[in-house]
Amino acid sequence: MDMEVFDSDFKVPGKEKKKSYEVDAESLSQAQVERLMSVDVDHIRGIFGVDAPVASLLLRYMNWNKERLIEKYMDDPTAINVDAGISAADEEPKVSRAASTTGPTRTTRSGKLSKVKSPSPKRDEPFVCPICFDDTQTETLALSCTHTFCASCWNAYVTGKIREEGEHWIRCMAEGCSLVAPDPFIQQALGDDTATWSRFQELLVRHFVSCNKNLKFCPYPNCTYTVSCPAAATKSSLSTIVPTVTCGAGPDHKFCFGCSVESDHRPVVCAVASMWLKKCHDDSETANWIKSNTKECTKCQSTIEKNGGCNHMTCKKCKHEFCWVCMGPWTEHGTAWYSCNRYDEKASQDARDSQSKSRASLERYLHYYNRWANHEQSAKLSMDLYKKTEQKMEEMQITSELTWIEVQFMKKAVDEVFKCRMTLKWTYAMAYYLERGNPKELFEDNQRDLEKAVEDLSELLEQAIEPAEIATLRQKVTDKTVYVQKRNEIMLEDTANGFLEGRWTWNATVEGFE
Amino acid sequence: MDARLRRVNKEIADCKNDKSSKIELELVDDSPFHLKGSFPGPEETPYEGGHFEVDIRIPDSYPFQPLKMKFITKVYHPNISSASGAICLDILKDAWSPVLTLKSTLISLQSLLCSPEPNDPQDAEVAKHYMTSRSSFESTARYWTHIYAGGPDPNSGDGGKGRSGQKDEVAMAGLEKAHVDQFEAIGFERGKVIDVLRRLNYRGANVAKITEDRVVEELLKP
Repeated sequence: MDMEVFDSDFKVPGKEKKKSYEVDAESLSQAQVERLMSVDVDHIRGIFGVDAPVASLLLRYMNWNKERLIEKYMDDPTAINVDAGISAADEEPKVSRAASTTGPTRTTRSGKLSKVKSPSPKRDEPFVCPICFDDTQTETLALSCTHTFCASCWNAYVTGKIREEGEHWIRCMAEGCSLVAPDPFIQQALGDDTATWSRFQELLVRHFVSCNKNLKFCPYPNCTYTVSCPAAATKSSLSTIVPTVTCGAGPDHKFCFGCSVESDHRPVVCAVASMWLKKCHDDSETANWIKSNTKECTKCQSTIEKNGGCNHMTCKKCKHEFCWVCMGPWTEHGTAWYSCNRYDEKASQDARDSQSKSRASLERYLHYYNRWANHEQSAKLSMDLYKKTEQKMEEMQITSELTWIEVQFMKKAVDEVFKCRMTLKWTYAMAYYLERGNPKELFEDNQRDLEKAVEDLSELLEQAIEPAEIATLRQKVTDKTVYVQKRNEIMLEDTANGFLEGRWTWNATVEGFE
Repeated sequence: MDARLRRVNKEIADCKNDKSSKIELELVDDSPFHLKGSFPGPEETPYEGGHFEVDIRIPDSYPFQPLKMKFITKVYHPNISSASGAICLDILKDAWSPVLTLKSTLISLQSLLCSPEPNDPQDAEVAKHYMTSRSSFESTARYWTHIYAGGPDPNSGDGGKGRSGQKDEVAMAGLEKAHVDQFEAIGFERGKVIDVLRRLNYRGANVAKITEDRVVEELLKP
């Protein structure tokens, strides 16, 4: 007993406790996914008594939904065999279905058997391939439908389907024939083209992954890893967690399991992140222009651009007449057509109030947008900072007693600044949609503290290095980095907890929070 | 010899030898991979009597990729673009099979002329016309066949071949002369009236549904 307690105590520091802003996810290699697939195939094989390639076709046809497949198969095996391209439709399918009380199992069996027997082309007359019209071809292939074509045509066809179309569901070449080539046939048709064969297997894995809600293919180019994240499999789970995951290829391959908006948009959930990006996409460029060039009609709030010199405005939409200068109704101007000296008129003051209210929402958006964009910009610039820092690190090794390992604090600090700027960036998107109230105020306090700490550290990093000051600088930077790291943790953790508790309320309709 | 070239040569030869199908093929330039196919319009359709030409390009991966075809002759048909001649037909896309040939594909085009699929249109305006008034659609298609495909003149009655001197823009657009005159009388340019009425599908039962104001509103748009 004592030993066990000691043992578990010992393990705790080794394996870090999961933070509330992290999700459980597992990275799977292609071979591991293939193993998952073969488990399903074996299961179906065992139940239906079919061979593995047939089971694989059945599963692929049903998008790897085992339960539905079993249900359908029990219902009418002939029909599903035809639909999944395993056996050809009978001449009179209605008759066979009517006699399904005894018929189906036998039909299936015979269909399966004929597939195993490879149909031999007639030997007495020379074979002319109906596709290339070549009568010198000796090697031919055919599916159980016995539509025979020469091996080189099959090879060209299958290669094209896999290479160019990325297709794993490859039908017989005959017109209107719905039979689908099972894996061994494809391998045979490809011959010694192992590259295309492995591409085919990758396509099968991709299809399996796309059918399974718990799995996602790593989106980085040429990466073959899959990530399993059951916690984020349902749409509703995405309103409580931000599933940022990393695949087995390394920490660079970071992506969001829930959306493709951005690889890491913590702390905000997918729905808010995508709402915000969409808004920025639609609005930010025009918003700035609108702000500086237009005013709203004081009556119907349509945005108006002044396109002539006269201050007598008539709204195109509601025909309201007003003065561009004082925003008051034109009637009060009497005959003073081209000048306005009536600033203090009650009506014009009201009009300006309503105008400023609608302006305020634009101003508010631009407040958040500018900060959001600024952090993104700064994060990009910190790539330059990286290079400068490397230089500094070299300098430091020369000018001081510090060793390589001891100057790593600079690199760590830059890394941390980048990470935190990404967090900060998304906090502005979140704050834009947060309903006013205590939770938002606390959120913004955290945001302010993190921002302040990050800016301080950023500034330290940009400073020139005095040889005499290196020791103090090192101390300062190290301390500040630890502090920034803590603030970032607090920001992420508190926001994540808020999502779990349902603490956040929004000033707009957010998908999943209705 | 290259398998694609062998196959195309054989297909062209087969087509030459087969007189019964009335499908013709000829080379456009010296390449056997750019052809012009033609066939007569099917009987008992508005296309009867016309001669339809199709531009055919044979892709590098033929016959594993479908032929690229489009009508050279202008055709008034829901599945054929009245502007570009582009064709919407499943065997030219995902239902293609390597055993299909130039001849069989051209025969499919011929039968597409017999049986339009207005629910899967290439030319939405023509498809709407087809759905609204079948008889009006057919007379327009017949008129196009006369003008562009050398079909009989629908107005001459005797079925004599040959093109009449002037194209009737109103008949080309499948509209009623009275309707066009009506809006032209208000003071709009004839070409614009035809354009708008065609776009609004101002035909058959639709005429009662579209108010005059609505037409004028469209006509006033720049």
